[in-house]
Amino acid sequence: MTHEPFDTLAATYALGALDGDERAQFERHLAGGCDVCEETLRESAEALAALALAEPRAIPPPEVKDALLRRIAATTSPRLERPQPRRLVWAVATLAAMIVGAAFTGTFVASRYEGRLGQMAREAAALRTRVQQDEAALREQIAVYQAAVDLLRDPTTRVVTLHGLGPSPEATGRVIWHPVSGGHVFVANLPAAPAGSAYELWTIGDGAPQPAGLFRVDASGRGTHRIAAVQGGKTVKVFAVTIEPEAGVPAPTGPMVLASK
Amino acid sequence: MATAGADLIRQMAAGDRQAFALFYDRHAPVVFPLILRIVRERADASDVLQEVFWEAWRDAGGYDPSRGSPEAWMITRARTRAIDRVRATRRRSQTFVAPLDEAMAAAPADPAGDAAEQAADRGTIRSALGRLPEAQREVIELAYYAGLTQTEIAARIKQPLGTVKTRIRLGLERLRDVVKTSP
Repeated sequence: MTHEPFDTLAATYALGALDGDERAQFERHLAGGCDVCEETLRESAEALAALALAEPRAIPPPEVKDALLRRIAATTSPRLERPQPRRLVWAVATLAAMIVGAAFTGTFVASRYEGRLGQMAREAAALRTRVQQDEAALREQIAVYQAAVDLLRDPTTRVVTLHGLGPSPEATGRVIWHPVSGGHVFVANLPAAPAGSAYELWTIGDGAPQPAGLFRVDASGRGTHRIAAVQGGKTVKVFAVTIEPEAGVPAPTGPMVLASK
Repeated sequence: MATAGADLIRQMAAGDRQAFALFYDRHAPVVFPLILRIVRERADASDVLQEVFWEAWRDAGGYDPSRGSPEAWMITRARTRAIDRVRATRRRSQTFVAPLDEAMAAAPADPAGDAAEQAADRGTIRSALGRLPEAQREVIELAYYAGLTQTEIAARIKQPLGTVKTRIRLGLERLRDVVKTSP
């Protein structure tokens, strides 16, 4: 194969007009090392640059230079620390910093800032704990939503609406229910249960109501609760929520606050 | 001048901001009109200009004087970025024909009519491009100023791709000779 096809590719490439497979082909050729093409590209770039150099000059908007200088000043380049003359400056500065630092560490900080540092450390620790708690809560919430979404993908999953009753007519709720996997209840506008009590969920089929777990609501009146599947996969006809002692009871005793129809 | 330019880039590579300011003052007035001619919008041209010089500052350490003059280093960079911008805009707007027509209107591919007037506008560029046969000049200008690829040029001027390639090759050969023989 002669080199001639590559002369054409190189010229087109230098113009930025090479496209498609030919571009990839030429780049492979270049990567393999080709002095002839390198030279063609170099000379072409100079020739094309000469076209631009032959045009009249124009002063660009001054804000471009300002922006560039600001941008450069904002990035502290590690390259700055390398040149020889600066080394001495750095050595002196470092020594000075060490002396000052030693004075501070030895006396000043110890006496004056110890208490404050201790307080800051405690605050930081408290903050960390809170962040960890928040994170755990969020993860839990995400897991619930994920589970709910997974359930919703299943065509046998039902979504049941709960209506507020008696003491809390504003309350609303939804149960996402799968006959085999169980489901989740989501409630809103439900006031916090009175002290010493909790909300208890019931599943009602053909027989007596079955306890389906206790839950609480947050300050905004919202709560979620995972519902285990009913043993034997029995059909659930009604979901209900009552106020019960916080330890929970095997059969409903308190007022009903939410129920499906 | 070329040596001094290379020195500036070396100083930039060492983190010298003053060298960068000098480098900018030297090259921006050449590069800016080129970018403006390709991207057409002044605001876009300012963006591209900033991008190009920022990259020059960042990549100064990679500059190799044996592989090209500082001018070619900057101008190639500027053309590439400006054309990237034009192509991105073209893709975004999804209108292919209109920008091409605009680009053609802007590209100095003149038939007979107002040739003299345009020649004056274009100044000395005519001396290099003007020595090319019209057919070669046309394809080079379409690539250089309108950012068209060889395939797009072929579609634009309704010529086979092979013809476009040959014209580009011959045209560039001629341009290289002009530059090599000029002082």
